[in-house]
Amino acid sequence: MTVLKTERLTKQFGGLTAVDEVDLEIEQGEGVSLIGPNGAGKSTFINLVTRRLEPSYGEIAFQGDSIIGMDPHEVVQRGMSKSFQTASIFPELTVKENATIAALAAEHGSFRFNFFRNQNSYPAVDELANEVLESVGLYDERENQADSLDYGNKRRLELGIALAAEPDMLLMDEPTAGMSPDETKSTVDLIKRVKEELDLTFLLVEHDMEIVFDISDRIVVLNRGSVIAEGTPTEVQNDPAVQEAYLGGVEE
Amino acid sequence: MSDEPGDATATAAADTDTEVTGGFADRWASFRDREISTVLLTVVGVAVFPFLFNNFLNGYTQLATLMLIYGIFAVGFDILLGYTGLLSFGHAVFFGGAAYAAGIFSASVSSSPLLVLLAGTAFAVLMAWIVGFLSLRRGGIYFAILTLTFGQMSFYLAASPLAFLTNGENGFTSVDIGSLLGVIDIHGGVPFPLTMLVDNMLYVFVAVMTVLSVAMANRILHSPYGTVFRAIRENERRAEFVGLDVWRYKLMAFIISAAFAGIAGSLFTIEGNYVPLQSLYWTESGRVVIMTVLGGVGSLFGPLFGAGLYLYIENIVSGFETLGPFWHLILGIVFVVAVVLFPNGIWGGIDYVRDMVVGGEDE
Repeated sequence: MTVLKTERLTKQFGGLTAVDEVDLEIEQGEGVSLIGPNGAGKSTFINLVTRRLEPSYGEIAFQGDSIIGMDPHEVVQRGMSKSFQTASIFPELTVKENATIAALAAEHGSFRFNFFRNQNSYPAVDELANEVLESVGLYDERENQADSLDYGNKRRLELGIALAAEPDMLLMDEPTAGMSPDETKSTVDLIKRVKEELDLTFLLVEHDMEIVFDISDRIVVLNRGSVIAEGTPTEVQNDPAVQEAYLGGVEE
Repeated sequence: MSDEPGDATATAAADTDTEVTGGFADRWASFRDREISTVLLTVVGVAVFPFLFNNFLNGYTQLATLMLIYGIFAVGFDILLGYTGLLSFGHAVFFGGAAYAAGIFSASVSSSPLLVLLAGTAFAVLMAWIVGFLSLRRGGIYFAILTLTFGQMSFYLAASPLAFLTNGENGFTSVDIGSLLGVIDIHGGVPFPLTMLVDNMLYVFVAVMTVLSVAMANRILHSPYGTVFRAIRENERRAEFVGLDVWRYKLMAFIISAAFAGIAGSLFTIEGNYVPLQSLYWTESGRVVIMTVLGGVGSLFGPLFGAGLYLYIENIVSGFETLGPFWHLILGIVFVVAVVLFPNGIWGGIDYVRDMVVGGEDE
């Protein structure tokens, strides 16, 4: 089953075409990486898919339905979650509260009239928050303020928040950016583990080729807004167009 | 738009009884205790306040009443400013608007204090829905300016085009407050055992409303809304991307805070039997901001203290022989000192001292 499908998806900023008629399909359970040189349009593409940016034209379908015109929170409620490029957490709340917010949104939908009910009368929310913290290995830190975590753990928490939405598909924008080699390794292991455990479909944007080749089923290469190559890690590695884009860009 | 249906609640409750009894029951118990202790603390506070205030701080009961009224205003305002992180500069619309609505209602529909209170609050909620709907389109400083604009707009509306309703610059003078539930004279004295603590019924009425308001605020802050509000304050974009309809929650925070302003505004009319045009002026909006910050943003009780201290300086210190004329300056200095020494306001200071004495909790 196709989870995400874009057709001729395009975004123009003035005269610059950042994303140029991209057709992409992601199947259930597939781990896809989006790579490309700086300025290739990767982040713009992610922002289009999560509805942070309005496309100039083209179609995006998630789980078979068009999501054009929806608000970002509606897309999340449909099962598309996003992990940010920076540790986007709720710094002054505890680790547990961070997970609870995401669990609330997952269990209660985008909005509800329940301002007179105590938080503790929703055990399912509490359970989900604990589960998520267990799975990203932060359960023991749950009473600490999120701000006090080190950078690697903040990113893990960030990933946890994204997972608490119980997504059908997870978008990850450079999940290991700024991490030490150790932190990177444990994050990659974490992603591999949750992919297996939850049969997670993901779309990863990443610069680190080692990680990309390690965890992707399929790689899509973007250059100047267009897809120039697509295939398994080995196919992409040997593709002359890819080598040209990465190594030959300077001469032009 | 709906809460969960009743049967789902029942199932959830049944589940808790059978499966997670131990831990959950304990937590439930501790929460009940906390809610009750918060309410009890407030009851004791408002009960002994006039006695202490009148005997040791040169106070008088009418000012104590006013302090509680503004305290309610500030407690609600803090839900918006301290918890949701939205700075409104137009809450006079809801305070003053409710005061006028309550006054006009009392003169032309019913003089029952409870109905007057209800009418004023309902008007504030309606206004908040409209003003919030329009202002919350923008964030940060633009939001503050938009709310300020609506505030000033309502001031000029009340001053002249609507003067046939509001009596313009003279303020609304035809307030007519009847007896409470048809028997209790709200501006009269109190029966014997209460006389040891307070000297008039009005204070008792306002004090009861204060306790109810604090209990409601406490409820809201411990509901899912409390968590969502703080999440929006901390990282609005992230809150949107976990799937929350941030805009509607912000509108709810705005309306809830306006409801408290409405309760306060209506009580203000009941208390003074008069609605000054000043109650819609922008300084009224500024006052509640200062009271809240002074008391401590993001705390339940702080704003009550902030409102008390502000009115104390304005009304008591201003009467001192040598210092009196400089009360604005004193207020400014107190504000600066409080903000510099205790960034979390008076309540933050109390917390700090308590931790020093008790040895501090490791949080």
